[in-house]
Amino acid sequence: MYQRLIRSLAVIVGLGMLSGIAVAQEGHPLKGSWIGEWSGNTTHGEFVLLVMDWDGEKVTGMINPGTDNMDIESVDLDPSDWSVEIKAGGYTIDAEIQSLELPSRSLVGTWRSSNGRGDFEIVRQ
Amino acid sequence: MKDKTTLNAFRQTWKLAVATLLLGCFHGAAAHHPIQGKFDPEQSATMAGVVTKVDWRSPHVHVFMNVNEGNNVVNWAVELENPYILIANGWDDNSLQPGDMIRVSGMKARNGSRQVWGDEVVMAETGRSVYAVSDTSPPKPLAKRPVPRWPDNNRPVLGASPGGVGGLWSYPTEKVLVEDGVDVTMDEYGQLENIADAGKVAPMQDWALARYVHRQERNLMDDPMYLDCKPPGGPRQYQSDLGFQLIEDRKNDRIFVLLGSGNRNYRIIHMDGRNQVGLVTGDDDNPLFYGRSTGSWAGDTLVVETTGFNEGFWFTNGGLPHTDMLTMEERFTRSDFDTLHYEVTINDPGAYTRPWTASWDLSWVGGAGLPFSLCQHNRQ
Repeated sequence: MYQRLIRSLAVIVGLGMLSGIAVAQEGHPLKGSWIGEWSGNTTHGEFVLLVMDWDGEKVTGMINPGTDNMDIESVDLDPSDWSVEIKAGGYTIDAEIQSLELPSRSLVGTWRSSNGRGDFEIVRQ
Repeated sequence: MKDKTTLNAFRQTWKLAVATLLLGCFHGAAAHHPIQGKFDPEQSATMAGVVTKVDWRSPHVHVFMNVNEGNNVVNWAVELENPYILIANGWDDNSLQPGDMIRVSGMKARNGSRQVWGDEVVMAETGRSVYAVSDTSPPKPLAKRPVPRWPDNNRPVLGASPGGVGGLWSYPTEKVLVEDGVDVTMDEYGQLENIADAGKVAPMQDWALARYVHRQERNLMDDPMYLDCKPPGGPRQYQSDLGFQLIEDRKNDRIFVLLGSGNRNYRIIHMDGRNQVGLVTGDDDNPLFYGRSTGSWAGDTLVVETTGFNEGFWFTNGGLPHTDMLTMEERFTRSDFDTLHYEVTINDPGAYTRPWTASWDLSWVGGAGLPFSLCQHNRQ
């Protein structure tokens, strides 16, 4: 219980430090740091940070829920509808880029793993 | 008597210089931003009313007017060109006064607010046009003049000749970045006439094409140069209304590019043989809007390599995307006294499938100076 509280506080402080005005980013729309929630995640907590980069051929990065950082294994972006599938550490995230034109665009959808599923929403910082 | 004659001559020269500067520097027909992003060409409006205020500010002048609508009097904002363009056409903030009766026709704002783009403003009593603009481009010389050259090494002078009349480069023959040889129709802001042509403009990756189409479909309203005063980095700086100067600092082996747009930004082209500082994959420590540039001469052509761009701006009118992997090779050739040929090769493996090239010419505007243009962003 105590460890969980500390972990949650660490994530909240970390997210707070990252929050603020989103840096303009007119390049690949997934590039950047994103923070938000994957609701109902009892394994890694509700808060989550994703960092993604674009190397010209693929999106790389990691998912950081506070502990147990996971390298992103694959990202499939379909520009025809801006849908995204992200796989990392046994998780699959299906989401859609919303407010593409804004630096603080969001990824909204669902997550699932062998331990559960729920809503997913992160906002680019 | 001699002093008076000299004084009169000085006054005449001064007036001529100011007129040349103003008339030469600005393009009368050019609006400051893609007005179709804010105003809808499909919704025209005509109204008559009384001027309540003239707000003479950059980037756009606004005239406020009271209009009778039924039993109510409502205030409309009439948006007009940039003050510099209006000044170049002989107008000033006193051309209209509160209390004047005017008729206005133009496009209504897309968001339904009481704003209209003033295509035509006339005095109601006399029918005289106010704040009308026309093309103020300088006349082409009757014959090509030779390229001015430095006496010591015979290289072309890129800007004003030493001891000669100052000036700037402006009036680009292309205001939009399109791969050479491609035939698509756009307006001067980069808005495609036919969105189906988007894929022809440049060899974009799928995501970049989709993002470009998205920007086009939103009528370029998200352009950060207008929303947030982001600089016109990349080749866009040479497609601006307000021109640029190339200042050769030969003592320190560098060339300054001074821009009339982008809050009078400048960039430096280092000519001293130093290694490029920006990384090929971008410069995460301090990526720049104008990148980092080194230059060298290939015959009469200045060749400039630039890397280290950030991703916080649109590098073209019309919104072609780029990434921090962008490198540019620019080639400047003064083909005659009044013509600068500009060619740029875009190499951005983050957004494009192959390198590609675009080019255009610019005209020398003798006697003109850069305008003091300060951007006030439009998000508020």
